[in-house]
Amino acid sequence: MPNLAVELQQTPGEQETPVLKVENLHTWFEIRRMGFFKAGDVRALDGVSFELYQGETVSIVGESGCGKSTLAKTILGLHRPTKGVMYFEGKDMSEFTKEDLKAYRANVGYVQQDPYGALPPFMTVRRILEEPLIINGVKDKAKRDKRIKAVLEEVKLAPVEDFLPKFPHMLSGGQQQRLVIARAMILEPKMLVADEPVSMLDASVRVEILQLLRRLQKKHNLAIIYITHDLSTVRYFSERIFTMYGAKIIEKSTTESLLDNPLHPYTQALFKATSDPDAENLKTYKEVPTGEPPSLMNPPKGCRFHPRCSKMIKGKCDQFEPPEFQVNGEQLVSCWLYEEKK
Amino acid sequence: MGKILLEVNNLKLYFKTKKGPVQAVDNVSFTLEEGKTLAIVGESGCGKTSLTKAILRLLPRNIMEYSGEILFEGVDLMKYSDEQFRKEIRWKKIAMVPQAAMNSLNPVMRIEDQITEPLFIHNRDMTKEEAVKRACEVFQIVGLPLDFMRRYPFELSGGMRQRATIAMALVTNPKLVLLDEPSSALDLLTQANLMNVLKKIKKEFGTTFIMITHDIGTASELADEVAVMYAGEMVEKCHAEYFYTDARHPYSRKLMSSVPTLREDKELVFIPGQPPSLINPPSGCRFADRCDQRFAKCSQPPEAVELEHGQQVKCWLYTEGSEVKKHA
Repeated sequence: MPNLAVELQQTPGEQETPVLKVENLHTWFEIRRMGFFKAGDVRALDGVSFELYQGETVSIVGESGCGKSTLAKTILGLHRPTKGVMYFEGKDMSEFTKEDLKAYRANVGYVQQDPYGALPPFMTVRRILEEPLIINGVKDKAKRDKRIKAVLEEVKLAPVEDFLPKFPHMLSGGQQQRLVIARAMILEPKMLVADEPVSMLDASVRVEILQLLRRLQKKHNLAIIYITHDLSTVRYFSERIFTMYGAKIIEKSTTESLLDNPLHPYTQALFKATSDPDAENLKTYKEVPTGEPPSLMNPPKGCRFHPRCSKMIKGKCDQFEPPEFQVNGEQLVSCWLYEEKK
Repeated sequence: MGKILLEVNNLKLYFKTKKGPVQAVDNVSFTLEEGKTLAIVGESGCGKTSLTKAILRLLPRNIMEYSGEILFEGVDLMKYSDEQFRKEIRWKKIAMVPQAAMNSLNPVMRIEDQITEPLFIHNRDMTKEEAVKRACEVFQIVGLPLDFMRRYPFELSGGMRQRATIAMALVTNPKLVLLDEPSSALDLLTQANLMNVLKKIKKEFGTTFIMITHDIGTASELADEVAVMYAGEMVEKCHAEYFYTDARHPYSRKLMSSVPTLREDKELVFIPGQPPSLINPPSGCRFADRCDQRFAKCSQPPEAVELEHGQQVKCWLYTEGSEVKKHA
């Protein structure tokens, strides 16, 4: 599985159009004072570019407030980008008409973080799954029923008949999350955006949900964007990993090479802070960078991590923004430390 | 063997509901040495939080049964009246950092006033200056800048608020601190930072902790001993050294193999099925339905057995004379 991404990267771009291509994406939120005077912008996304191919999972890791969820919502079309272009299957999304946008939304599934909050409490399972079909013009009731049953079986909510009349509160956390996945899958999308799909669940259920997503991906050749703050799950679930910090992607890498050799000092810090169950942990202290993530209203000049970075180069990191450097062929890192290795 | 600080024997906590009694904590027994940390892990709804509430006697009204022995420094706390317990034990000897602690601060009180409050309640003669001085001390221990004392909770970040609640628990210099999911709502780096702070407190002041968590990775940062709870019962308790590599109860084993790890590539498994309802739990082993090693005997309730490294396991696989033991 991990080789998939490498293969995909090596195949020249002419052959395969990425499902999603994002170029220099910015999403800024305006802050107004007294409702009228503009006080500044929160730059929740500040220049993000990447490509996503059919059948691969890209994990986006980072702390809260780094812009992960804004990225997800911009991709879903819930926020309008301030600047930058998104291409879905090669088509520029800024030129989409209303119908195009509707078709796009049917092609992109969304798995929310908190399943209970994402499911309407007054609708039965059948109604929840039927609604997207009605909206997207499946008029034949028998056809709808067939699709609902197929999708419920796919997410292993069986026996299907037992679940159809149930309300969300009658399901356990894991079952609710399966229902959310079923809803995301019902229109047979090409791409899924999963925003922390397992962070609210118990450890034993987490693996089950991740394996389910993985199975669905294989079967339908889905592209998945998996947003998480938990580094330990990405190993099992993704081909490529992007690290975000301060509204930018600072490191892009295949899962294997990132796990072997994280390059950016921030990724390294995240690595060191993650604890695996081990009795040795008791004896040592963790190395943690001091300080807090930067304000997105006026981010620090130069590299956004430089005030917390132990390897900061004076006069460089605090002055100039690092471009992406390519290291070891497949890792892209925005850090001045890797300048010579270019 | 150090001095035993806390000994819990056959603790039961049942809640009264319309559907029948909920056996949230059922016959839990364990001991904890002074200066050590016990991590209690388990799925949600297994009674972890109820156990801490039972120890600190923070109980709701619908109690049906609350019995057993809680020996703290050799004295049975169950014999204390509520008033006596409040005056002599709660926050004076045993303190707690509640779940989602970052949201449990009073939003309209300054941090300083909230932290000094327990001091005034337990010592009426204390002057404001003395109390503030003590608050400054704990603020430094948890690593918060002193100029944050006069701020309101909303002016602090999540990690700082969490530290403030820990400062509040430490201010009266308690022997035992109960931590209920201390780090689950925090970011990775903040979490690591907090574990460093707790480790430092443990080392420098010899405070005893009971830490409730479902994150086994984080638990390993602080725990000397690990206890696993399942459906209201404590099914295994053993030294941290052995737990991560050699857990004995089938449930603990499964739980360990469902934990994703960053550094090691392993096959992840999940536990099929769901934990039983606590209203009418199965009469035998409560894990039997989901266990792949069950056999005839599992329909009877297992007794706790002590194994060679001091592990206590509630499982028929390890009972004397059980023929299955040799295969396990």
